[in-house]
Amino acid sequence: MTAASLDLNRGPLAHLSQGTRSVVYRLLAMALIAAAMSFASEAFLTSNNLLNVLRQASLLFLLASGLTLVILTAGLDLSVGANVALSACLAATVIKGTGSVALGVAAGLGAGSLVGLANGLLVTLLRIPPFIATYGMLWILHGVTYWFMKGETIHGFPPAFRAVGSGYWLGVPIPVYVMLLFLAAGIVFAQRTTWGQEIYAIGANPEAARLSGVPVRRRLVLVYVASGAMAGLASLIFLARLNSAEGDIGETLTLPAIAAVLIGGTSLFGGVGSMLGTLVGAVILTLVLNFMNLLTINANWQPLVTGVIVVLAVFLDNLTRKGDSR
Amino acid sequence: MKTLQTMTLTLAALAALAAAGVARADNERLAVFTKNQTNPYFQAVRLGTEAASRQMKATVTHYVPTKPDSIPEQMSQIEDVIVKKPDAIVFIPVDYKAMAPGVQKINTAKIPVVNVTDRSEVGAFVSFVGASDYDLGKETARALFKAMGGKGNVIGIEGVKGSLTNIDRQRGMRDALKDFPNIKLLASQPGNYQRLQALQVMENLMQSYPQIDGVFAANDAMASGAIEAMEAANRKALVVGINGTKEAIDAINAGKMLATGDYNGFLQGCLGTMAALRSLRGQPVPKEIVLPAAVIDKANAARHAVPVEQRSCPRWEDAVKG
Repeated sequence: MTAASLDLNRGPLAHLSQGTRSVVYRLLAMALIAAAMSFASEAFLTSNNLLNVLRQASLLFLLASGLTLVILTAGLDLSVGANVALSACLAATVIKGTGSVALGVAAGLGAGSLVGLANGLLVTLLRIPPFIATYGMLWILHGVTYWFMKGETIHGFPPAFRAVGSGYWLGVPIPVYVMLLFLAAGIVFAQRTTWGQEIYAIGANPEAARLSGVPVRRRLVLVYVASGAMAGLASLIFLARLNSAEGDIGETLTLPAIAAVLIGGTSLFGGVGSMLGTLVGAVILTLVLNFMNLLTINANWQPLVTGVIVVLAVFLDNLTRKGDSR
Repeated sequence: MKTLQTMTLTLAALAALAAAGVARADNERLAVFTKNQTNPYFQAVRLGTEAASRQMKATVTHYVPTKPDSIPEQMSQIEDVIVKKPDAIVFIPVDYKAMAPGVQKINTAKIPVVNVTDRSEVGAFVSFVGASDYDLGKETARALFKAMGGKGNVIGIEGVKGSLTNIDRQRGMRDALKDFPNIKLLASQPGNYQRLQALQVMENLMQSYPQIDGVFAANDAMASGAIEAMEAANRKALVVGINGTKEAIDAINAGKMLATGDYNGFLQGCLGTMAALRSLRGQPVPKEIVLPAAVIDKANAARHAVPVEQRSCPRWEDAVKG
C-alpha cells in the first residue's frame, strides 16, 4: 500500500502543487471505496445509482460548502442544521400563505442569511468563541422553530417548486446541477478571489492577516453569512425534495455536514482545505448509506459499518499523504 | 352569644362546603409531562389532556423539555413539580428506563400519577394508558398485505434501532407476514423515524429492486418520505405508516397512501387525564387501559379528518370497557 502511494507521488502527479495533489488523493480514496462497493453489489456501479448518490449528496454538500469557508477561518458553525429547520419552516409557511414560490424562496434564503449575520456579529462584535456562539444559536433557532410550528407539519407544495428537488434535466437530477454550480462558484471564490485568499490567511494566522491589512472582522462576518445563506438554500432543496417541513428536520444534519468538511481534508485549525475536498467528503458519507441499503446490511450493524468506512477513508488519505511528504 | 352562634354556624357551613368541594373536587391542578415539542403526536396528547380537563373542570400545566427527549431536563422538571405539589400527574417518560429515579421521586412525594404512552419500567401508577405498538404494527401490516392481494414484494423502513416502539412494531409486522406466504419482504432498512433518511433509503432500494409493491414504514413521516421518493421516480407502491398524523390522513384522502395505524395521542391524553381525575374523585379506574389497534384508511379517513384542536374527549364509559 505504502509502496503504491510512493509510486503515485513520483509518478505523473509529481508536477502538481501539493494542494491539488491532496485533492487527487482524496478522489482516489473515494474511487477505491467505490470500487470495493461495486464488487459487493451489482446495482452500485450503474449511472442511475451514481446520479442517485449525487442527488442525495447535494443537500449535504450545500450545507457543508458554507461551513467549509467558516472552518477555513478556524471557526465553526453548529447552527446549520437548526438553521435549515427554521428556514424551511418559514419558507413553507410563506409559500402556503401567499401561494408565491418566489416569496418563499426569498424567505428561506433571507432567514438563513440573517441567522448567519447574527452568528457573525456574535463572533466578531461580542467576541464570543464560534463554538459557543453558534451552539447558543442552535438552541435559539430550535426554540423559535418549535414555538412557531407547535408540532405541526406543513406539506404539499406547487409542482413547479417540487421539480427543483425531484426533477431531471437532460437525464441529470436538478439538485446535482445546483450542487455543481455552487461547487464551481465555491472553488472560484476560495482559490481565485482576494476575499477567498484572505479567508485562508485569517485561518492560517489571524494576527498576521490583520497586520497585512486584511479586514478580519468583515471577512469573518462574510463567512458566517455565507454559511447561513447556504443553510437557507439547503432548506429549499429539502422542501422541494420532501414536499414537507416540520420543526425537527435539522437535528440530524449538522454533524454529517461538519464530518463532510473534515473528511474532505479541511483542517479544524483553519487555513487548509478545499471545496472539492468537501464535495468528496459529502459523497463518501452518502455512498456509505447507499452501499448499506444496496447490500441490505442489517440495521444493527449499520452504525458500525458507517464508522469503519469513514475512518478507513481518512486513513487511506493519510497513507497517500505520507508518501507525499517525502 | 348570638354572634358566636352565627359564627359557629357559618364555620360549620363553610366546613361542610369544603367537604363537599373535596368530594366534588373541581379545579384540581394537573401536571402533564410530554417528551418534546417537535413531534405532533405529543401535541395531540397535550390537546387531549386539555380537552379532558376542560370537560371535567380541572386545570393542566405542561412540562416539555426544550431539548427534545432530554433526560436531565425532564428530571429537573419533576423536581420543580414536586415542589409545586399538583393534585396529580399525567406522565410520559422521555425514556422508559432512565426516568426510573424521577418516577421514584414522584412516588415518594405521594402525588398520584398516571403513566401514558410509554410504559415506565418501575414505579407505582394509578393506571397505564397506551396503545400497543405490536398490535398497531400487526394490524397496519395486515391491511397492507390484504390490499396487495396477499402477494408481491414489500420493503420495510424501520424506526430508531432499540426504541421500544420500533421493536414492537417490527415484531407485529413480521408476525402479520407469517399469514401471507406469497408476500416477500425484500429488505428492511433503518430510516430512524426521519423523513429525509427514509427518502434516501427508498431511493437506494429502488436501485436494486425493480418491482416493489408495498412499503411498511414504522411511522408516517418515513412513509411520506418513501412516497416522495417513488413519485420522483415515477413508481408506485402501496404505502402504510403508523401514528395517524394529519399529514398521513391527508395523503390517504389524496390516494397517495394506503393506511396508517392510529396511535391516537389525543385519546391517550383524554383518558390519561380522566383516569387521574377519576381516581382523585374516588371513582374506579382500571390498572391498565390499552387502546384497541385501529387502522385509518380511505373508508374511515373522513371521521379522523377533524383537526385535533376541535375534537372533544369521548365519555369515559364509551372509551373504557370493563
